Amino acid sequence: MEEEFQPEYGPRWSDQRVEWMLGALVLAMVALLLALIVTVFVNGWPSFAHNGLSWFGPGGNVDDQLSEISQSAETGAGYVYTFHAWPLIWSTILICGGAVVLSLFTALFISVFLIEFAPTWMSNILRPVVRFLASVPSVIYGLLGVLVLVPFIGNHLITEEQKSSVAGIISLTGYSLMAAVLILTVMIAPLMVSIFTDALASVKAGWLEGSLALGVNRWRTIWKIGVRAARPAIVAGTVLALARAIGESVMLAMISGSTAFAPNPADGLIFIYEPSRPLAPTIVKSIDQLSSPPAKATLFAIAAFLLFSAAMFSLVGWATRRAMSRYGAP
Amino acid sequence: MRIKTLAITALALVGLAVPASAGAKTTLIGSGSVAAQPVLQALFKTYETQVNKNIKFTYTADGGNAGIKDVQNGTSQFAGQARTPLPSDAGTTYIKLYLDGLCIDVNPKNKLTNISIQNLHDIYRGILTSWSQIGGSGLETTIDPVGRDTNGGPYTFFLQSVLNNEPPASNVNALTADGLVVNAVKQDPNAIGYAGLAWQKKGLKPVKVEGKTCEAKNISVEPLKYPLSRYIFIVLPTENPSPAVQKFVDWARTSPLAGETINKAGGVAAFNKKK
Repeated sequence: MEEEFQPEYGPRWSDQRVEWMLGALVLAMVALLLALIVTVFVNGWPSFAHNGLSWFGPGGNVDDQLSEISQSAETGAGYVYTFHAWPLIWSTILICGGAVVLSLFTALFISVFLIEFAPTWMSNILRPVVRFLASVPSVIYGLLGVLVLVPFIGNHLITEEQKSSVAGIISLTGYSLMAAVLILTVMIAPLMVSIFTDALASVKAGWLEGSLALGVNRWRTIWKIGVRAARPAIVAGTVLALARAIGESVMLAMISGSTAFAPNPADGLIFIYEPSRPLAPTIVKSIDQLSSPPAKATLFAIAAFLLFSAAMFSLVGWATRRAMSRYGAP
Repeated sequence: MRIKTLAITALALVGLAVPASAGAKTTLIGSGSVAAQPVLQALFKTYETQVNKNIKFTYTADGGNAGIKDVQNGTSQFAGQARTPLPSDAGTTYIKLYLDGLCIDVNPKNKLTNISIQNLHDIYRGILTSWSQIGGSGLETTIDPVGRDTNGGPYTFFLQSVLNNEPPASNVNALTADGLVVNAVKQDPNAIGYAGLAWQKKGLKPVKVEGKTCEAKNISVEPLKYPLSRYIFIVLPTENPSPAVQKFVDWARTSPLAGETINKAGGVAAFNKKK
């Protein structure tokens, strides 16, 4: 051997530059996200600082507090920041939580049907249709709600004595909890169905076939084995749908009724007809007060709370999926 | 070779674009009141087609208060506004453009024909809650008052002229646009709501206020005939307003053609000469 073989160290230039470009892209995205989080929290800090923990608590009419906050900038007597967001938070919990629970069960049963019991031709048609439904813009659901569902509830389901029992405090027209939960369910169920069907379809066929071979019937097989194996994906789909529901602003602003009222389950049947207003629609409705500094701080504080909740749900979802993943399917 | 072809094509496209932009029109940017939009759009169209073909208008209806902010920071050259000036509108000049009325509407199933300002006040403050407390409606049911939310000029006008600056009660359904108010009144037999004069042609049933009907000949502020009459203003920046916008404003205020356009679009021409 005359020459020793000299190996090249390090990556080739063509790979190096790709690594740098893609890395720069990722860094830019992360930097943007961090900038977003920092802006929202810094702008919303005055509202949290002035209210402390009572920001999350009840106390007073939120509409009155909001108008006082924006008036205080005009009069120049010093900014007022008093804000107790509990009615908004409670409304978000009721509407988004109710819609997610309702659509979880609906979507689960629909996807089990599509994977296991539907004939192949039906499944092949319905699965793309569901995926299309998941991408319909939410404003269309809002229009449908305002034009069809809300008058139906208001004129045919709510009785006169129910209306007069709360007259003067709130108006029981069709803009209600029930309309909001129903439309939100219709909106997020297709998303969940498409995720669940993909997960159920990727369960190891060997497991299902083994169970069938042992004599277990089809329903029990898919429910006890298929769904169980797909549990991480079910959690992931739920978290995704919950994040979409919480961020839904324009559609809920049209349908949920626009008074910041905390519906009381102790009211009985009227409870589902009561108007309310979750957090994201509040930002939409008060958006033109951004020019008044205390109102801007309050709106950014609401946005910070929404951002934080979305991050928490994501974290909880990830932790749950990790715990469940020992059953196999990712 | 491929790069050369691409470069030549790009240059050719740029070359084609240049003469196209040489004949460009001046664009005048406005924003503001949703209530003023139907009449303003009609005025823009008449001006663009019959007076000055080199001007193009764009108008974003994001609410009167937002329009004022746009004029104050220079994003818009003019704004439409449906309420009188406030101290926070510093740096802008309000010019009266035409008259508008805020009409009170009920559902066609409601037989009410006349309502007093005091009753209106009590309904929207939550003091009167049932149609049986107000004579003439033929209904015994609970009233569903519908209004605008704080984003709108009609809300501020209603607040000042009917509610004496007290905020409406919590049972008023606050909607984001006049169109939604009109829709809610049409669908709910127990609803009462307010919307600008320009909305009345769409099959609503306006009621008389203090005995005066909400129609063009009663809308007048000086002297005050129909109680809920108001001026619609066009707002320009006090410093360096655009001369093209000023020419448009002068035409809209004085020309008989503009007066006809305003009347046809649902407003009431205030200062225009009659032909």
